[in-house]
Amino acid sequence: MSDSGAVSTGGGQPGAAQGQAQIPAPPKMVKVFVDGTEVQTDSRDNLIEAARRIGVAIPYFCYHPRLSIAGQCRMCLVETSDAPGRLVPGCQVRVKEGLKIVTTSPAVKDNQRGCMEFHLINHPVDCAICDQSGECKLQDYYMEYDHQPSRIRVHKLNKPKREIFGPQVVYDAERCIMCTRCVRFMDEIAKEPQLAVVDRGTHSLIATFPGQPLDSQYSGNTVDICPVGALLNRDFRFQSRVWFVNKSPTVCTGCSNGCNVYAESRGEVIYRLLPRRNEEVNQVWMCDEGRLTYHASNEKRVEWARTGRGDTAASVGPRIAVDRAVELLKPLAGQGGIGIAVSAQCTNEEAAAAFQLGAQVGASRYFLGSRPQGNSDDFLIRADKNPNTSGILLVAEAFGVKLEVANGIDRVKALVAMRTDGLPAEKLARLEVFIAIAQNEDAATAEADVTLPCKSVYEQDGSLINWYGRLQRTWESVPAQRADSAAGWSWAERILTGLGGSGPKSAAAAFRTLAEKSAELSGLSFDQLPEDGIVLEALLPRDWPARAPRPLPGAHSVRGPQTTPPGMKVGDEASGGSR
Amino acid sequence: MTESGLPDTDPLALEAEIPTSPMTVHLGPSHPAMHGTLRLTVTLDGETIVESIPEIGFLHRGFSKSSENSTWHQVLPYTDRLNYVSPILNNTGYIMGVEKLIGLKPTERAEYLRVLGGEISRICDHLTCIGAIGLELGAFTTFLYAMEARELLWDRIAELCGARVTVSWTRIGGVASDMPPGWEQHLRDCLPRVLELTNEIDTLLTRNRIFVDRTRGVGVISGDEAIDWGFTGPCLRATGVNYDVRKAHPYSVYDRMDFEIPLGTRGDTYDRYVLRLEEIRQSHRIVLQCLDQMPPGPIIIDDWRYALPPKKEVFGSIEGVMAHFKLIMEGIHVPAGEVYVYTEGANGELGFHIVSNGKGKPYAIQVRGPGLPILSALPRLIKGHAVADLIPIFDSINMIGGEVEQ
Ligand code: SF4
Ligand code: SF4
Ligand code: FES
Repeated sequence: MSDSGAVSTGGGQPGAAQGQAQIPAPPKMVKVFVDGTEVQTDSRDNLIEAARRIGVAIPYFCYHPRLSIAGQCRMCLVETSDAPGRLVPGCQVRVKEGLKIVTTSPAVKDNQRGCMEFHLINHPVDCAICDQSGECKLQDYYMEYDHQPSRIRVHKLNKPKREIFGPQVVYDAERCIMCTRCVRFMDEIAKEPQLAVVDRGTHSLIATFPGQPLDSQYSGNTVDICPVGALLNRDFRFQSRVWFVNKSPTVCTGCSNGCNVYAESRGEVIYRLLPRRNEEVNQVWMCDEGRLTYHASNEKRVEWARTGRGDTAASVGPRIAVDRAVELLKPLAGQGGIGIAVSAQCTNEEAAAAFQLGAQVGASRYFLGSRPQGNSDDFLIRADKNPNTSGILLVAEAFGVKLEVANGIDRVKALVAMRTDGLPAEKLARLEVFIAIAQNEDAATAEADVTLPCKSVYEQDGSLINWYGRLQRTWESVPAQRADSAAGWSWAERILTGLGGSGPKSAAAAFRTLAEKSAELSGLSFDQLPEDGIVLEALLPRDWPARAPRPLPGAHSVRGPQTTPPGMKVGDEASGGSR
Repeated sequence: MTESGLPDTDPLALEAEIPTSPMTVHLGPSHPAMHGTLRLTVTLDGETIVESIPEIGFLHRGFSKSSENSTWHQVLPYTDRLNYVSPILNNTGYIMGVEKLIGLKPTERAEYLRVLGGEISRICDHLTCIGAIGLELGAFTTFLYAMEARELLWDRIAELCGARVTVSWTRIGGVASDMPPGWEQHLRDCLPRVLELTNEIDTLLTRNRIFVDRTRGVGVISGDEAIDWGFTGPCLRATGVNYDVRKAHPYSVYDRMDFEIPLGTRGDTYDRYVLRLEEIRQSHRIVLQCLDQMPPGPIIIDDWRYALPPKKEVFGSIEGVMAHFKLIMEGIHVPAGEVYVYTEGANGELGFHIVSNGKGKPYAIQVRGPGLPILSALPRLIKGHAVADLIPIFDSINMIGGEVEQ
C-alpha cells in the first residue's frame, strides 16, 4: 500500500501488505465513540475497523483490510462529529481522538438503502445458479439494509457472462459491482497487474488485457475477495452449494510454505480449499496450485487394504492385509535386508512410526522419497513441493537415521514405504517384498505385495514443519472416513504389534515419542500446539525470499489463537469480510 | 379360616364379607379409550380405584429440541401436532409469540382470519370431546353426530388451509392463505347443520337418565383445588371459576367480539360436558361475527424481512430472489429476547415461552400445554370411584397426547 501511495489502514489485521520484515511501531491508542459507546482503538484504524472492535458492523464492499482504499461502493458512509450533517466514507476516514461516529442515523440508513438499490439496478436474477449464493455480501446487505422490492421499470443492462479470465477464474460482468478489489489485489499483492476496469459509467466492467489471460499463480484469491458472485473459481464452479460443506482448518500440502487453509468438505469428499489467516505464513492468501491439492485426497485413492499385485490382487480387509505384511517381514527381520522409505509428504507422526518400525525389523537402509522440485517466487510459492521435508529431516535426526535418496532402493531385499512419492517403480519390481502404505494408486502401488490405504494429510491428526521451521498442526478435517483408510502411523503400529513390538496408538503418542528423542521438539505437547503453529528457532533460515511472510523477531515463538473479529463470520478474515 | 385356625364349616360364612386384596391392572397405552396413548396403572380394591399412576411418553416428539434446530417458520408444523384436534389455535399462539418478539402486528384481516379459524377449531375440539364421552358411555349415535359436524368443519378448514389437521396456516405477520372464493357462503351454509347436530347431541345426552347418573357427581373438583392443580380452560370453568384468556386478557380481535363465558357449578364430569356444549354455541357466535366484521385487505404484512415476497417477484427480480433465499436458508432474524405468550386453547391456557438470540432459529421454546396440569390431577379425580367411571372422567378432561408431551 505504501508504494501505491494510498492510505494505510492497518488496524484489524496489522501488517497489511507492508514489507514483512518491518517491525511495526507499537500502536498508539485513541478514544473514539461509536454510536455513543467509547472504544479504544488503534490510531491507524479507519472507522470500519474501529466500529468492528465493539461488534458494530459498518457495511462495505470495496474496502479490504489489506488493499488500498478505493472509495468505490459508498456503502460504508457514516456520520462523524467532524463533519456534522455530511456523510463520510468509513473506509477512508481514519479515527482521531474523541471522534464521534454515528452509524444508525436516518441519513446513514437512507444511504445504505439507496446504495443497495443502485447496486442491484442491473443485477441479474441469478442467485439460484450462482456459486456465491449463501456467502454473498449482496444478499446479506440487501436483507439487512434494503429489503424493498425493485423499483426498476426498464430493462436491465446485459453484459458479458461467463468470461473465462484464466485457468482458475471465470467472470460474470452482470453480477459485478465494480468494487475493484480484484484489480487492486492483482496490482498490490500479486504484483501482476492483469485486470483492469474498462468502459465507463454503468457500462464499465472488469477485463483482462488482449492476449494476456489472468494466469497469475495467485488468481484464485481474486475469487475469495470478490464480495459477490462475479468472479468464480472454475474448479469449484457448480460442484456444491456452500451451505452444504463443512469448513475445517488444516494446512496446504502443495509446497513447503505450509499455507494455513480451510478444507471445505462433505462426507469424504473435499470440495475446495480456502486460505486461513496466518500473518507469519500466508497472511490471508494462497497460490492456485495449492488450491488444487485437495484433488489428490478425492481421486485415485487406494480405497481398500489389499494383498498381492496385478491379477492376484485381493481386497482382504485391514486385519488380513496387516497379517500378511507381518508374515512377509518376519523371516527377514533382523537379517539386515529390509529398507524403510519415507516420503516428504508424510506427517512427522507417520515418519516417526515408520522409523520405529525400521528399528523393530532391524532395517539396514532408509530412503527419502519426495515430489520433484517446481517453480517458486519471492512471496508464498516455494520450490520444494513437499509440505514436510524439514520435518522428515528433523525426525530422521531424532531417530538417528541416515536418509538416502530413493534411487538406491534396489540395494535392499524388502521395502516398507510410508507413502510412495518419488519411488522408482522399475526398481520396486525387483524387490522380494514390497509393502506400501499409500494414499493414491500409482506405479509403485502396482508393484506392492501388500497395499495399505493411507489417509491424506487433510484427513488426519498430525504435524508438519514448513520450510523455515514452523511446526503446524493438521486435523481430521474431513468428516467421513474413506473406505479402509487409516493414518500411516496407525498402519505402522499394527505391523509393529504383529511383529511383537509396540507403536503409537494415536498421533499424540507418536509425537510424544518423537519429542522425547528430538532436542528441537522437547517439551512440546501435541495437544497444546497452537492453531497457528510454533516456530522452531533452531531451524530458521538465514536467507528469506523478499516478500515471504516471516515471524516477527522477538515475539515469534508463539502467537495467540487466531480470532475472528466481532462482526465477521468464521473464515471471513481471509476474504476481508466478504464471505 | 376361623380365628382358631380350624376350617370354617359354617355354611353361612359364605355370605360374610369377602376379604379382598388390592389388584393392579394396566390400562393403555393402546387401550381404545386411552386416547392419546396414556398408560394408566390402576390399583383396584374390588371395583374401587385406590390409586393410579398415569404415565405419558408414548407420543413424545421432542418438540422443544426439534424447534431449536428449525428456522422460526419451520417450527410451525411442529405446533400443528401439539393439540392436533385444533391446530390453528396452536399456530396462532406460537406465531403471536414470535410477532411479540419482533414487535410486529399482523394485518387486520389476518387477525380476523386467525380468530375465525381458531374458533372453528375450538368447535371441532369440543365436538370430539363430547362425541367421545357419549361413545364410551354407550351412546354411539352422539359420536356419529359429532363426527358428522366435525367433518363438515374440517372440510371447510381443508378448503381454507389445504389440510384438515396439519394446517401450518399462520405466518409471521399474517396467514398463509385467504378464504377461497365462495368459501364464506360454504361456511355459512354448513354452520346451521353443525348447530343442529350439536342440539341433537344435547337432546340425546343432557337429560338422558343413564348419562346423567354416570356423570353427575363423578370426578368432582372444587375451584380452589383446580386452581392449585393448574387447571385452565373448560375444566376450570366447569368448577365455576371465571377465567378465559379471551376475556381476561383479550388478544387479537377478541375484544371486538360479543360472546359469553359459560360457567359450571359443581366441577364434575357432567358440568365439563355441558360447558363444552355451550362453548360450541358461543364459538359459533364468534365465527359469525368474524365473517360479518372481516375487513378486506392483505392477509400478510408487506415486509420482506419477515414475509416471503410474492412469487412474481421471486422469479422476476433480484430483490425478490435474494429475500426469498435468505428467508428460507437462514430464516427470519428475530431480535434477541424472551417472551411468554398465552392464548386460550381448546383445553385451556396455551402458553409459549420463546427465547431468541437474534439468529434465524429459536434459541429455546417451551410450551405450557393446558393438558398436562389437568392430566396430572387425573389420579385425584378418579380416586375412590368405580373403575367404570374412569373412562368418562378421563374423556371429560380431553387429554391430547400431542400437547401433554412435548
Ligand atoms: S452475486 Fe450474490 S446476489 Fe448476485 S446472483 Fe450471486 S448470490 Fe445472488
Ligand atoms: S469482479 Fe468482484 S472483486 Fe472485481 S470489481 Fe467486480 S465485484 Fe469487485
Ligand atoms: S466506499 Fe468505503 S467500503 Fe466502499
